[in-house]
Amino acid sequence: MKLNWKAGAISALGVLAAAAAYAGAGGDADSPITNLFNEPVTPIAHTVRSYWIFVALITGVFLILPQIILFWCIAKFKDAPGRKPATFHENIKLEIFWTVIPILVLVVMAVPSYPIIKKIENPPPADMRIEIIGRQFLWEYRYPEFGDVRISDEPLVIPVDKTVVADCTSADVLHAWWVPAFGVKIDTVPGRLTQIWFNVEEQGWYKGQCAELCGSLHSQMYIDVRVVSQEEFEEWIIDRGGTIPAGNSLAQNS
Amino acid sequence: MSLLETPPPGSSAQPSKRPDFPETPHKAVRLPGGILGILSSTDHKVLGMLYLGLALIGAVFGGAFAGAIRAQLTSHDLEVLSPEFYNAMVTMHASVMIFVVIIPALAGFGNYLVPIMIGARDMAFPRLNAFSFWLLIPAGGLMAASFFVQGGAAAAGWTAYPPLSLKEYSGGPGVDMWILAVHLAGLSSITGAINFIVTVMNMRAPGMSLMKMPLFVWTWLVNAWLILIGTPVLSGAVTMVLLDRGFGTGFFKPALGGDPVLYQHLFWFYSHPAVYIMVLPAFGLISHALAAFSRKRIFGYTGMVWAVCAIGVLGFLVWGHHMFTAGISPELRLWFSFMTMVIAVPTGVKIWSWLATIWGGTIRFTVSMKFALAFISLFVIGGISGVWLANVPIDLQVHDSYFVVAHFHYVLVGGAVTGLFAGTYFYFPKMSGRFLSEKIGNAVFWLFILGMNLTFLPMHLVGVQGMARRIWQYREEFAAINHLISFGYLGMAASGALFIYSIIDALRKPKTCGNDPWGINDVQKSLVWDIPSPPPPYNFDKIPVLKGTASTGG
Repeated sequence: MKLNWKAGAISALGVLAAAAAYAGAGGDADSPITNLFNEPVTPIAHTVRSYWIFVALITGVFLILPQIILFWCIAKFKDAPGRKPATFHENIKLEIFWTVIPILVLVVMAVPSYPIIKKIENPPPADMRIEIIGRQFLWEYRYPEFGDVRISDEPLVIPVDKTVVADCTSADVLHAWWVPAFGVKIDTVPGRLTQIWFNVEEQGWYKGQCAELCGSLHSQMYIDVRVVSQEEFEEWIIDRGGTIPAGNSLAQNS
Repeated sequence: MSLLETPPPGSSAQPSKRPDFPETPHKAVRLPGGILGILSSTDHKVLGMLYLGLALIGAVFGGAFAGAIRAQLTSHDLEVLSPEFYNAMVTMHASVMIFVVIIPALAGFGNYLVPIMIGARDMAFPRLNAFSFWLLIPAGGLMAASFFVQGGAAAAGWTAYPPLSLKEYSGGPGVDMWILAVHLAGLSSITGAINFIVTVMNMRAPGMSLMKMPLFVWTWLVNAWLILIGTPVLSGAVTMVLLDRGFGTGFFKPALGGDPVLYQHLFWFYSHPAVYIMVLPAFGLISHALAAFSRKRIFGYTGMVWAVCAIGVLGFLVWGHHMFTAGISPELRLWFSFMTMVIAVPTGVKIWSWLATIWGGTIRFTVSMKFALAFISLFVIGGISGVWLANVPIDLQVHDSYFVVAHFHYVLVGGAVTGLFAGTYFYFPKMSGRFLSEKIGNAVFWLFILGMNLTFLPMHLVGVQGMARRIWQYREEFAAINHLISFGYLGMAASGALFIYSIIDALRKPKTCGNDPWGINDVQKSLVWDIPSPPPPYNFDKIPVLKGTASTGG
């Protein structure tokens, strides 16, 4: 039985290591989505990332400690001739300890999440507003402040370093708009308006995906976002037959 | 040794409380044998094994559906299945695994073991018990038949979120049949739950107070309450979908003033507790296996009982964590977030208590024990990723991604299914009078554990990288990892096939087991290991009267 556990554990580790190596080798390093953990490019994404690391560090203790104790027990307390099992079966102090400590840890972990939720929920003053509409099986984007330019089934184009507030809804079933590098995901619900905001710090091409099952071609509802300079954005709007409003905060800034 | 004590004459604890109940009922009643005997049986043991058999057949189908999903996802641009059929596979894999495999399998162990563990001769309502089981046959049959109707089986996900599940977007009768199947499975669960509650509250042997019941009985008692409170809400919610589909109502149609988010509230009010319905009895099973093969009593019995009760209560206060992206208010999200994290506390109590149970024991590494130990390790992983998901900012990022798929498979496969394996290897000698081969069992174990981790561990990674769940094709970047995941599936499939072979192989051998085939009852002091294997009809010649220290073991 001893050999069995060891052989099993070693082969398990071997397979997992091979798996990790294989997985790491794949992928195209240029596209933003393949960065191992999607480099955050918005204020929300940065906040979520640091909070996530904070949570991972705290919970890591509770992930590793039981495994260590478990394997210690497996190694240490084998049945053997002459060994007698212990007979204890309760210890009130210990039980209170492992009930109270996790509660305290959870409070420490949960409280900082509230300001983050508020930050996600309450956008700063918008530089521009857009509308995102989910539709089987494509995304429609509207720019009501720019001569009501409407595009569908092509990349969303937004300027860099501007606070973009998006009102989201759906024309038919539930969809969800998700771009991992922006740190945002929101359901688009028919008959309701939901809201997200992002302020992208770097120009580039960002990829996402519809994240709520919406029918046969759900998997084809890709999301692509082109983040461009202010000039490029204005050119693109005019190219699409839109207008740049004179009093618009975007134009003033640029 | 015997747990039974001959009560002094005239003692109030005598079974004479039930004057018209024969002392040796199996000698007084003639039961029909053969197939007819099985089909017409109201014996809790026969029904328990029927449940387990149904679960095994269901697992073959559910596993095959998973195989179809993995075949499609092996690479990013395959067209092994049509997108419609792929969605049907995703829907039916979940529905079958939940309603025909895990819930019936746990009901099977509950049916078989609970009456024995509390010293009763059968469930309180044996006919209702048979009714509960036989309802599952048309439920499974409807799901199977729906593949052959126009438009194919339901493809709106097992969550069946409207508007996608409404007539406009899912035209054929597949979704209607799925809803009726859920109704039947739900009715089966509800009647079964009533039976368990009445049995445990009224039919415990003299001397078995609530706080002396084996933990498995406790987990099933709490479980039955969860089913009784939650399942009617699910039935109501899917009935509203049925009415919206066929009768012109507009509960979930925005155009008629309805609200799709309302459905999510109703659905998850059942379906979150359903996770605990699927895992609490598994907690019970592994508690007994861990104690038995460590030759110790379960550590912190009282704390364990309260932890199970706490999980049961808290389980009803957390459904909103499935809806963090649906646009509900920040304060409500914070509430659901915190309640969800609080569940980690009683769950943690159980983990620590299991570790304390094996601490200092003399551990025998039987296959059952290996599965029970693996349960601890895997369930901790699923639990911690659950705490991550409970945090709103993190959930907003990975909700509906493969990270979530990884999380709930660690809970349901690493937890419930691993627990069922531990329970099967542990109680098979009691149920059949024969041991399952430990040699084949070791292969089953290692294939399962390797396959399981190879399948679900990398899913965390692709989920964080941005792969959404329930997608038929995906971006090329995720192909390498998905290739591995599909490879892992083969390990689990091989393990399942070996397991079925092992059962058939064991059943062909003669019955050799005595009352206590594992040699554990000197410490465990359980009624289960105090009667023959397999137990005779009606279990006990005389209703047992328990001594003071019995019988928290199982």
